[in-house]
Amino acid sequence: MTSPPTAAPDTHTLGSAEAGTPSAARRGTEFEGTATVVARQTVADGVVSLELAASCGEPLPPWRPGAHIDVVLPTGVIRQYSLCGPVKDTARWRVAVLREPDGRGGSQWIHDHLVEGGELRVRGPRNNFPLRPAARYLFVGGGIGITPLLPMIAEAEAAGAEWSLLYGGRTRASMAFLPELEGYGERVTVRPQDQYGLLDLTGHLGDPDRSALVYCCGPAGLIDAVEAHCAGWPTGALNVERFAAADVRQPAGDEAEQPIEVELRASGTTLTVPPGLSVLKAVEQAGVPVLSSCEEGICGSCETSVLEGEVDHRDSLLTDDERAANDTMLICVSRARGRRLVLDL
Amino acid sequence: MTLTQHVRNGWYLGAWSDEIGRTLKQRWITDLPVCFYRLPDQTVTAVEDRCPHRKYPLSLGHLDDDGTLQCDYHGYRFDGQGVCVGVAEQADKPKAALRRFPLVERDGAVWIWPGDPELADEGLLPDTSWLNDPNWTHVHGVVPLKARHLLLLENLLDLTHETFLHPTSIGNAAVAATPIDVTVDGDRVGFSRRMTGIEAPPFYEKSCGLTSPVDRWQDGDFYPPGIFVLNIRVAATGTEEPDGFHMKVLYGMTPGRGNETHDFYALGRDYLIDDQELTRFQHEQQLAVMQEDVDALEAQEIMYATDPGGTAESSIKSDLAALRGRRAVAKMLTREQQAGTARPRASA
Repeated sequence: MTSPPTAAPDTHTLGSAEAGTPSAARRGTEFEGTATVVARQTVADGVVSLELAASCGEPLPPWRPGAHIDVVLPTGVIRQYSLCGPVKDTARWRVAVLREPDGRGGSQWIHDHLVEGGELRVRGPRNNFPLRPAARYLFVGGGIGITPLLPMIAEAEAAGAEWSLLYGGRTRASMAFLPELEGYGERVTVRPQDQYGLLDLTGHLGDPDRSALVYCCGPAGLIDAVEAHCAGWPTGALNVERFAAADVRQPAGDEAEQPIEVELRASGTTLTVPPGLSVLKAVEQAGVPVLSSCEEGICGSCETSVLEGEVDHRDSLLTDDERAANDTMLICVSRARGRRLVLDL
Repeated sequence: MTLTQHVRNGWYLGAWSDEIGRTLKQRWITDLPVCFYRLPDQTVTAVEDRCPHRKYPLSLGHLDDDGTLQCDYHGYRFDGQGVCVGVAEQADKPKAALRRFPLVERDGAVWIWPGDPELADEGLLPDTSWLNDPNWTHVHGVVPLKARHLLLLENLLDLTHETFLHPTSIGNAAVAATPIDVTVDGDRVGFSRRMTGIEAPPFYEKSCGLTSPVDRWQDGDFYPPGIFVLNIRVAATGTEEPDGFHMKVLYGMTPGRGNETHDFYALGRDYLIDDQELTRFQHEQQLAVMQEDVDALEAQEIMYATDPGGTAESSIKSDLAALRGRRAVAKMLTREQQAGTARPRASA
């Protein structure tokens, strides 16, 4: 069971929290309004933790482990961050933000511009990743994916459940909250990739166990691997949360790291699309008009006919048959398997 | 979403069997006026509801005991095959015939194929045997909807909206919080959502006598262009199949005239089938939920109708089944247009 951030609102639903509105509104048990950064701390390489309090001074609504909040940045970008502080603290919410240089600028803005005393529009909490009761928990965290697991671990510990955590990251220095986790002793296994390689999922998860629930959060590759390991487990045993940014299909091999040549036949133009730039952006920069909307490979607005070349499909919309036909692609996320594509643009 | 033309090469629910008798019934389907009636042998027939003489609606005419349909403007008379058998004013029979639509009557439903009759394939219809199964009971009806068919289609293919639109009956946070798996099989789009260990929504609490936590499954299938079947299973958490409570909902999403849609529904269950009180409660709930949908879709229709090709839509992952449903309908329409069969054949 995967949990993409489908419940995230689009900008329209946030109309009541216009910039500059000082008041906080509540809808049900949700907070919607301005929050002040009361503490900011670098907790690992490229990771800052923020403690947020309602600017109006009122207590924040309660939440359960696995919950996230929406953060609406001044640029209009909305990002979801898992709450990772103590569940009982209704004065402050803690989130941790990884700087994602290849993202759409949300995390970079937070890293570069948001200081203590600064304000943010936030909404939530919402929970797409609830912790269900179990006798035994197997937690697997990758990188910043540790955040939703922190309150889960605290709850499992308080409930007297049996639990263990396998926590991976690129390097030890990039892994947040290690001092907090080390307090749990042997239940926590820290495995930075530069020292240990890929996580030993087989060793950690073991055989299917009806009394155990698996909770995993991290990059798509890790979640895919955990899903593969748990394929034979009882339905519902595995619970994962994917990050929006990591949810787009990852590049296939090294090909995506290469620049590709894209000929726009109707326009009579040929572009070189470097790694890190979408075909859509390159086409737009070349001044060729093309419809687009979500830029995440979901909505299909940018669907374009492919005349030549093999597509590396990374969208969510096309069916397997449509992908195999190789005659259409969503240019906001998909690229080329080879070095060249010819599009009907 | 700008698609307001209607696919005609496909099955639509045209009427419930109990709606059609020896009186003439007009219903617009895919912008075609249709006149339904039964012949003396009880077979249902449907003809284009325009007299070939001066276009007067035949449904304003009358049906003789022998199954002859008479236009009550100038007296054209048509036999059970739709062939003109005479007119009051003259002895010679005018050369005229009515366009008749392929129909299938099965399990209490009348399915109509408004497009090319040669393409009408009964094999494309979903299994509706539960509407006629002694181990099941169901309620059915039709609700008018002033919104385009695709809005209803997307409503049904993204049940995430239950959380927000139906919070007092069938929706709660678990629906939106649980992602769906989407499958595509040819033109058909299916989705599956498995909610385990969730709070029981009020409708199921009352319908099944369940208390939280429960497991709730939704498995929806869209048979384009206009049929949707939802299989529901609710049970105390941990109950294995085939135990638990099963329900099915069939929706006939039948385009009417302009951007109006006939919202046909049937709600069935396989437990307490003799409990009339439960049947009444479920029917009331079904209609209340549908009214919430109708209100929302009609409000949405105005926004789409007044924003042609305007503001971009935002889409999220849970839209996937609905977006694929849209594509399936758009493809059918393209196929029809390319084959030149989108327009109905002229009457003979």
